[in-house]
Amino acid sequence: MSSRRSSRGSISEEEINELISKLQSLLPNARRRSSQASTTKLLKETCNYIKSLHREVDDLSDRLSDLISTMDHNSPGAEIIRSILRS
Amino acid sequence: MARCGGDVSRHRKADLETVESLCQGLLDDVMLDDDKCRAMFGYLQEWPDLASMCHSASLLGEPPLAPEASNGSGSSGGGGGFRKRRPDSCLEAKGKSNSVCKRPRGKQQPCDPDQMAAVVGKGKTERARAGAKKKAELALPKDSPATSESTVTAGQKTDYIHVRARRGQATDSHSLAERVRRERISERMRYLQELVPGCNKVTGKAGMLDEIINYVQSLQKQVEFLSMKIAASNPVVNFNIVEDLFSRQLSQAACNPAALAAMAPPIGQAEPSCLQMSPLQQMQTPAGCPGFGLEMIVNNNLFSLAHGGSMSAAAAASVPAGASVESCLNVHGAAGWDIGSQSLFSGFDAPFQSVQSDSLLDNLKMEM
Repeated sequence: MSSRRSSRGSISEEEINELISKLQSLLPNARRRSSQASTTKLLKETCNYIKSLHREVDDLSDRLSDLISTMDHNSPGAEIIRSILRS
Repeated sequence: MARCGGDVSRHRKADLETVESLCQGLLDDVMLDDDKCRAMFGYLQEWPDLASMCHSASLLGEPPLAPEASNGSGSSGGGGGFRKRRPDSCLEAKGKSNSVCKRPRGKQQPCDPDQMAAVVGKGKTERARAGAKKKAELALPKDSPATSESTVTAGQKTDYIHVRARRGQATDSHSLAERVRRERISERMRYLQELVPGCNKVTGKAGMLDEIINYVQSLQKQVEFLSMKIAASNPVVNFNIVEDLFSRQLSQAACNPAALAAMAPPIGQAEPSCLQMSPLQQMQTPAGCPGFGLEMIVNNNLFSLAHGGSMSAAAAASVPAGASVESCLNVHGAAGWDIGSQSLFSGFDAPFQSVQSDSLLDNLKMEM
């Protein structure tokens, strides 16, 4: 990541824009938008997206834990799921 | 939502006319130096009524200043220059007539002489004074019954966001708008900083953006991984897309034993190709690829943990549970598959390469 810094040691505008565009590409609406989103909206979208990802992770974890309770305790699948939930 | 600069000055003039005649003494009561303005207008967005009253009060500082003070700095917006000189004028005015605060205005709370006296002698940009003045200023509108002029200004003001020029900063409309935008961005960055763990240690925009990007990517991977696990675990263990594709290729029917036997060698082949896929995946930018690459990695884990175990074609069984997997694959869109599938599958066997990407996607959808 140090390659992103300019030789002066300070951070140029271009690097920040690059990071911002990369972040935009991560967001789910990235393809439809024609990169006209202002930084403010982008950051807001990121906030919402991170929150929704949190919710999704929690939801999936709950489902996994429900699932493991129904499975055979000694099956390899159960072992895998337990290791995942532990991490 | 925000319009400042030119609009502000225009409205300021209108407000001047309305409030000027009524609250003459307010200038002396309220010493509007820059810090105080800043403190006051920090609340603009939240409490428009208060903001309007503060603004109307601040406007009173302007009429006496405008004719008197020479606009030597040539502030184009008209506001900034006044700000800079206001402390002097305010101090001057205060020094002149301390009794002004006792001027009966009926509607306004009589100013607190103690507060006034305490702050007169101080320097220009002191926070204590700003706080004290702010309190006095805030007290005034609350105690006074709704004055007509303030309601008038409130009606006019609530549409706009007013920004005070700070000391030593540019005051033209573009800079003001720019400042509002920058403040909004930094506010959102702070919020993001709270959301993303470990962001507190990094300072600076680029570092934080870096952290945020990493965090979003890791969250995405985690979500995909979990949903894959659920899809895999629901009907059967070790769900394997590649496995299923191979089974499609080798035996068009969902014939499990045959598929198992046929898959055993390809599985061994699949692993090195899976390992190949991750560097392939890294090089590609579209977000469609990480999903697939992750599945490959997941499948590797599955292999290692339950090697040679209950591998099944999972053709028919995984249909009900696949909704989440499908959703997570579809999140990246078919475009990702179209772009990436050709190169992604280059590491696989020849019969695999002949498969069109569309049919691949169809197969996957059917699988799920």
